Amino acid sequence: MSAISAGTEKTVGSQKTEKPEGAKKSLVIETNEVSFAYDGKKDVLKKISMQIFAQEVTAFIGPSGCGKSTLLRNFNRMNDLIPTAKITNGHISILGSDIFDPMVDVIELRKKVGMVFQKYNPFPKSIYENVAYGLRIAGENRKSVIDQAVEESLQLSGLWEEVKDRLDASGMGLSGGQQQRLCIARTIAVRPEIILMDEPCSALDPISTAKVEDLITQLKEKFTIVIVTHNMQQATRVSDRTAFFYLGSLIEMDDTTKLFTNPTQKETEDYISGRFG
Amino acid sequence: MVRSNNIVATQTAHTLSTFNVAMKEIRNSVLTMASITQQNMEFAIRGLLERSQEACNEAIADDDEVNSFEKVVDTEGMQILIRFSPVAADLRHVLAAMKIAGNLERISDQAQSVARRARKIIKHPEVSETRSVEPLFEMAINLYKDSIRCYAEGDVELALSLYERDQELDKAHSKMIKELTKTMERQPSNLKTYLHLIFILRCLERIGDHAVNIGEDAVFAESAADIRHVGARALTDS
Repeated sequence: MSAISAGTEKTVGSQKTEKPEGAKKSLVIETNEVSFAYDGKKDVLKKISMQIFAQEVTAFIGPSGCGKSTLLRNFNRMNDLIPTAKITNGHISILGSDIFDPMVDVIELRKKVGMVFQKYNPFPKSIYENVAYGLRIAGENRKSVIDQAVEESLQLSGLWEEVKDRLDASGMGLSGGQQQRLCIARTIAVRPEIILMDEPCSALDPISTAKVEDLITQLKEKFTIVIVTHNMQQATRVSDRTAFFYLGSLIEMDDTTKLFTNPTQKETEDYISGRFG
Repeated sequence: MVRSNNIVATQTAHTLSTFNVAMKEIRNSVLTMASITQQNMEFAIRGLLERSQEACNEAIADDDEVNSFEKVVDTEGMQILIRFSPVAADLRHVLAAMKIAGNLERISDQAQSVARRARKIIKHPEVSETRSVEPLFEMAINLYKDSIRCYAEGDVELALSLYERDQELDKAHSKMIKELTKTMERQPSNLKTYLHLIFILRCLERIGDHAVNIGEDAVFAESAADIRHVGARALTDS
């Protein structure tokens, strides 16, 4: 049975349990020769095949327009919002299910696959309500459950100590870095399996960036994270594996340290060392 | 896997022209430092074989210049790391340059030691055994020159051949030490000269070791393989 079909709750939740040292990590996302076109004709992703594993941070890098954000947005079917956009080849499996299967409930998928955007976008509501929002629309009304989820999510996002005395204050009144961490708290409140981050620090100052990066490192204990970044140093600091994209193709994907010290493809070497892009 | 010889020569220019300049500068500093180091070795051995105090003094004085260059290379390397955060081949070349500079400084120190001992030897009557140092010196300086070629030209194959040649140098060194020890027993009147010669041989043997280190750093810069302690096996494993 699909892990992300309507009515199925946490069938693969066991993945969050601690794995013994040296145990093989479980496969969370798999793409098999995925091609994608915004207009339904011209492929902007070309036969992408990759595997993303649990409790790892995977970074997508590449020059603007190479397709990294497009692929990321396919993982929770955000591209469905564009009428002409479609997968033209291959398939994407998340937690063992083909996410483009007609039986898949997209709302359930997006609960499992949360997303944090480049520009922090808290709702014009209180800090508390921002975090509680996802739970409320999922039908959770019990105050004690929501209270606990809000506190846990703010703790996990490293924001609790900074806001615990003003949970009723507007989320819009926080600093940029705090607003982004509030958005991360909002994302994790519904307990996704995967968090997609599309350049989450590009609008933040260096200290706020460091806090978010530190948070990413802590969150990978509980979630699988895929991050799109233009910042090479950020990719080297936070990710376990890095995928380099160019002109819609996946050129190389490898252990981050290996990719940044000894890439196998010349395009990768030229891009990461600043010779094009 | 070895992808190509001389990565630097085949690389596309960096988008930042200041980065290209900085990388060229550190490379030139290492090669200049290598040239002075070689000159010091030649002065030192000339001082010994030709009994020239002047040549010995040149080798001793020029060691300061090599020491200064080591600092220059380190400073240039640190500036590149801070300003440009290089990765991949660029990072390896910066690290290799800094490590090679350290080895060059040690080689120049050995040349200086040879010169200091030569200066003492020439105060005593000449002994025929002094000439026997020359073949060992030739082995050491050729090893050294080739290690620098490995770095300058990115010649991985040549770097791998340095191990065996260093072992030959070690064997020749051991053989000569044995011979000199026997000579010392036979002719105790020239004991001081023979002792100095033994230490000079030791310096030449150490130069061979540093040359091998330089070759290893050159391989790392070119191919990312760490061949220290494992040799060519690292190239097939990487």
